[in-house]
Amino acid sequence: MRRHSDFGIRISDWGAAVAALFLFLAAVVAAAADASRLAGNVDAKGLAAAVAKDRGKVVVVNFWATWCVPCREEFPDLVRLEEAYRARGVAVLGVSIDLPKDMPKIEKFLAANRPEFPNYVKRAGGDDQDFIDAVDPKWGGELPFTVVYGKDGKKAKVLSGKQSYADFEKAVAELLK
Amino acid sequence: MKVLRTLFALLALAVFAGPALADGPAIGTAAPAFEAKTLDGKPFSLADAEKTNSYVVLMFIATQCPYSNAYNDRMRDMAAAYAKKGILFVGINSNKTESIDEAAAHAKKHGFAFPVLKDPSNKVADLYDAKHTPEVYVIGKDGKLLYHGRIDDNSDDAAKVTSPDLKNALDALLAGQPVAKAETKAFGCSIKRV
Repeated sequence: MRRHSDFGIRISDWGAAVAALFLFLAAVVAAAADASRLAGNVDAKGLAAAVAKDRGKVVVVNFWATWCVPCREEFPDLVRLEEAYRARGVAVLGVSIDLPKDMPKIEKFLAANRPEFPNYVKRAGGDDQDFIDAVDPKWGGELPFTVVYGKDGKKAKVLSGKQSYADFEKAVAELLK
Repeated sequence: MKVLRTLFALLALAVFAGPALADGPAIGTAAPAFEAKTLDGKPFSLADAEKTNSYVVLMFIATQCPYSNAYNDRMRDMAAAYAKKGILFVGINSNKTESIDEAAAHAKKHGFAFPVLKDPSNKVADLYDAKHTPEVYVIGKDGKLLYHGRIDDNSDDAAKVTSPDLKNALDALLAGQPVAKAETKAFGCSIKRV
């Protein structure tokens, strides 16, 4: 015999409704988390605008690619850095240099590393040299590459190649003083 | 004691920090001379190569870098085509993570007929301040650097190249013309230094 609530709705219906609500909320939370990690395509101008939005913070912009082994090795340290220094005014932005056809690899990489900071994908097309020069004229195009901006929004440091957690920490600590 | 500690810290900084982004040779200046060994142990001297060829193309390459590997066929074909015009292509593997045996197997697999050098202590990469693979340098008979940068503007698809920069540079030089775009850039894998 089925039990009914005062409103005439079966208990099993309530169960289904609660389960559906739970699934909906889980999907919303997951989508929000994904959105925070993958922030869309960006060109040099868009990236400069994204950095400018964080004025007042020390901003660490890291260029990486899924095919780049040292990028993959240093990325967890950036995730750790952002978690440790978020409250002290440090923002991290990731920029994937992968090609658009590699989007599944990008998503898999971000899902495995779970960064709490946004990651953009370099917009396809155009000459890569223009993008590289716009980010930093001294950048030769090697990956990984990191640019650190001071609280005033000005470029303060460039880090070529793979860095250690201590390197990242040193770079931001100096600018937080 | 405190003074000593400070001095030691300063010394350590000077030794380990180094220049964040040093500069390699500028276009038109002397390309640093060096000697190294090919993968099969033969001696190689840049000075000798300059004397016996019209131009020398140094290519920093890798066995495991997808960006460098995307150019294996293009490097093989260009080296063969320009060898007939007196231009020597030379591969240089400066990655500490890639052994001589691995580099030799890679060269054989991809049909590299040009010499490939192993740069075990990054000596050559440091002289040129080469940052990534692939990265190329064109050197003239007088030892001057004439071109530095990428092979072309599309690593992903050779059929979609719109700016074959290395080819343009070599063709200009062979025609006795100045190189219009002597410095170019592309993404690549950073050289794994010792």
